Amino acid sequence: MKSLNHLGVIFFPAYDWAISPTHPEREERLLYTQDQLREEGVFDLANITEYKPDIATYADIERTHFCFPGPEVVTTESHLVAAGGAIKAARLVMEKEVDKAFALVRPPGHHAMKVVHGNRGFCNINNEAILVEFLREHYGIQKIAIVDTDCHHGDGTQDIYWHDPDVLFISLHQDGRTLYPGTGFSDELGGPTARGRTINIPLPPYTADEGFLYVIDNLVLPILDDFKPELIINSAGQDNHYGDPITNMNFSAQGYAVLNRKLNPDIAVLEGGYSIHGALPYINLGIVLAMAGLDFSHVREPDYHPESLRQSPQISEYIKKLCALTMQNYRKPPPLNVKPNQYDTRSRSIYYDTDGINDLQVEQIMVCPSCSGVRHLTSKTRSHASCMGIEIPIDACPRCRDEGYRLLHAGRSNFRGKTIKFINRRDKEYLTLNEFELTPMGRYFF
Amino acid sequence: MLLGIDVGGTHTDAVIIDHEGVVATAKVETDHNDLIASLDAVLEKILQSEPKRPIRKVNLSTTLTTNAIVEKELEEVGVLAVSGPGLAPAHFNQDLGQNFYLFAGSIDHRGALQQPLDKAATTQAINDCQTKKIKVFAVVSKFSTRNPEIEEAMAELVFEQSDFTTIGHRLSGHLNFPRRLATAYYNAAVWRRYNVFADAVGQSIRKHHLDAPLSILKADGGTIDFKNSRNHPIQTILSGPAASVMGIIALSSITEDAIILDIGGTTTDIAIFADGTPLLEKNGVSFGGRATSVRAINTNSIGVGGDSAITISSAGEIRVGPKRMGPPLALAGPQPTLIDVCNVKGLSALGDCRKSLIGLKALADKYGITIENITENALETALETIHGEALKLLEEINQRPVYTVAEVVHGAAIKPQKLYIMGGPAAILAPLLGRKFALPTEVPDNFAVANAIGTALTRTTMEIELFADTGKKLMFIPNLGIRKTIDNSYSLSQAQTYCINELVKYLNENGHPEITAADVSVVEAETFNMVDDYSAGSKSIRVSCQIRPGLETEYLQGIK
Repeated sequence: MKSLNHLGVIFFPAYDWAISPTHPEREERLLYTQDQLREEGVFDLANITEYKPDIATYADIERTHFCFPGPEVVTTESHLVAAGGAIKAARLVMEKEVDKAFALVRPPGHHAMKVVHGNRGFCNINNEAILVEFLREHYGIQKIAIVDTDCHHGDGTQDIYWHDPDVLFISLHQDGRTLYPGTGFSDELGGPTARGRTINIPLPPYTADEGFLYVIDNLVLPILDDFKPELIINSAGQDNHYGDPITNMNFSAQGYAVLNRKLNPDIAVLEGGYSIHGALPYINLGIVLAMAGLDFSHVREPDYHPESLRQSPQISEYIKKLCALTMQNYRKPPPLNVKPNQYDTRSRSIYYDTDGINDLQVEQIMVCPSCSGVRHLTSKTRSHASCMGIEIPIDACPRCRDEGYRLLHAGRSNFRGKTIKFINRRDKEYLTLNEFELTPMGRYFF
Repeated sequence: MLLGIDVGGTHTDAVIIDHEGVVATAKVETDHNDLIASLDAVLEKILQSEPKRPIRKVNLSTTLTTNAIVEKELEEVGVLAVSGPGLAPAHFNQDLGQNFYLFAGSIDHRGALQQPLDKAATTQAINDCQTKKIKVFAVVSKFSTRNPEIEEAMAELVFEQSDFTTIGHRLSGHLNFPRRLATAYYNAAVWRRYNVFADAVGQSIRKHHLDAPLSILKADGGTIDFKNSRNHPIQTILSGPAASVMGIIALSSITEDAIILDIGGTTTDIAIFADGTPLLEKNGVSFGGRATSVRAINTNSIGVGGDSAITISSAGEIRVGPKRMGPPLALAGPQPTLIDVCNVKGLSALGDCRKSLIGLKALADKYGITIENITENALETALETIHGEALKLLEEINQRPVYTVAEVVHGAAIKPQKLYIMGGPAAILAPLLGRKFALPTEVPDNFAVANAIGTALTRTTMEIELFADTGKKLMFIPNLGIRKTIDNSYSLSQAQTYCINELVKYLNENGHPEITAADVSVVEAETFNMVDDYSAGSKSIRVSCQIRPGLETEYLQGIK
């Protein structure tokens, strides 16, 4: 018999918020999950407690994201509550009020990148990243692993921690050649200062329980063993389910529960999952029971027929090879062609599918041998002429810190854009400079 | 005129109230082993003093079912249950006796029958119960408040064998299978004992020529009509504290957020009011070691009262309660109590104050400390315990999860504006508690019979839930057993109107002709767009409406 955990569940279904009345992200999404959890009497169990979410502050968001023009424009109250749910989960665990916590909240967040102009992939702000930065800010946690088990590549979380060697990001998802957002290939391994700290496992369509659990046993757990994070966070998307209407996988509620038991995360945060009648009530119940250390062997969808969900031998073979290759990439990532102590540049076009925004972004990272490197980017959309973001990382060396301030001063004098966002995680200084405060002549510093 | 009788743990109180106020009171000691004798005695006494005018209504609060459960005087119940997939079945047999049977079958969260009842196994279990001479049953299935067909099938199979069967979905429309199980089990287990008692109550009432309608107090600060209570005896648990809370509403004019303290000899009961209405337990009350779905006023009972014994631990810590060893020294008790402390501090002058002083002095000398040290600390501990526990209850209520953005962001927390204190030591402690809480206080007059006044003035309460699925074209009110087809244009406002009307109709037909739609308040009314495989047009509608706990308003003026 496994020992019991005291589990805190922050259940926030946002019954008054939807992207549109028939959008997958609508009021109804967690209704049946709540019905199921209530009918099972889950919250009457001695080791499971339900909590109210906190409300995230703009400071929590601006510590994590470059929001253009500002967090008050790119978020609604619902986003603050969902992120606040993740923060509450972190607080409960850190204050040892519970052993583990599950933020069963919506709207989701894992497609929200470092720069936020609006909603992409149903997400505005990244709940997990806001949680991680909250942990670092208030509890001094350093090494964290985020394991993203949503069917869609967690491109937002990947982007935020692309240059961060202390946050290991692992994403299991349906192959980007067949599904939004079309990224998350094996060779996406992190930036020059964090090589091998981003791990992508693109799985073929129709991967079933066997395949997912093979990846967990043979790749994810060994990597976590090696990385030794202080805390494991599960981005618990539920759209790998065989019943999900917008994906093509064959994962089951039992599979999710077993995965959770093996992964043993400290905190889980709900992401996607849109089979709201047939899958979510059962997956969520399975995860809750698994996290609480309770027997989940009787959790089963009404239409569950494991024999019809078996994956083909070809898929099993493919996954085996993929795991071997990925393990090699983690251990010895192929080096990048970069020069130390110089900027490495990425130019990208990022599309916000929900809000129809196109962001042209140029990002530079200092290839610093002694820290994660100062990050400097410019971002251009049709509505916001041009914006700039500067981030001094939490582990910044004195040189990168000074470089960050040099960039800020240079930006003040020369930048002909709309907004500059400045994040100094090392010394906890956060600034927003708006158009009218910017002077092309460089005379009116403040 | 109204007659209220509260058969309490120690005393049985009765009051008669007319428009002028309380016209008669009577008090007798409760005979624990013969509640009917206590009822007879108090009726005898009060009707002697007020024999003339006609009684319009009789309300009775009794500890019968409460005691039966606490003392485990429970009849063997055949519990027939269907859980289906989900939590492991071991979770559901919460010591519900030796005769708990679980059968195959399943209904999902939308009320779709996924697997029919295993009738052969059910029949076998019923036969097994027959050989064990079990005559009362509880039939409960998961999601029966969405679709009752499995419970109904079990009830039909057991019908011939049983004197009484409790059907899960008729107890409450809420979702919570384990609570439904425990509540159905209790209801069946106390049914026979309650009905024997009810027969005797009927005789006693007739003997005293009271032909007014009789209602029984419930834990939620309301009443249930006598005839109905025979099938729902579980509703009558914990009616004592509810009667006290309703009593204080009658004696004061509570309109704001408030804290209510009922300070007795052994305990202090704390209740929280929002906008003048007592708050109920969120999912039902926990009682006798099991969580139930019985609606109840949320009260917290702590072990500090006027007769709480003052003791000093080996570490030198001065303690108040939680035990009562007897009355204060001043009233010839065996040990110093909180009241003795108040006597010594000059806050009260109850009984022989000299005895208080001598006793506390002896205690102080024994531990080599000053008497001031003891009295100061004991009083502060008592006040701090009451204050701390009240704030804890308040925090618990304010931290209850809510499920909309609007409620999380803009939901108003309960902020008590006033402290209402009743019970024996109320007047003594009120100024000190007021300072501790930093709130104005009120101690109502007449609080000695507040419970009986509350009993007399309490009106009926009831809550029902409606669940409609326009995709399945079905509407269901579990508590009333109403299940009808609807068309797919069925709307939230239709559902709401129907739900209110059915509640009124039911109560009108069950002893409460005075209830109208104006008495009904809607607790919850929600509609969700459902997007199915073939359509995006259907809706999941959930309505819940209730008659709130309330008092016979026309009599209130006289009382105050």
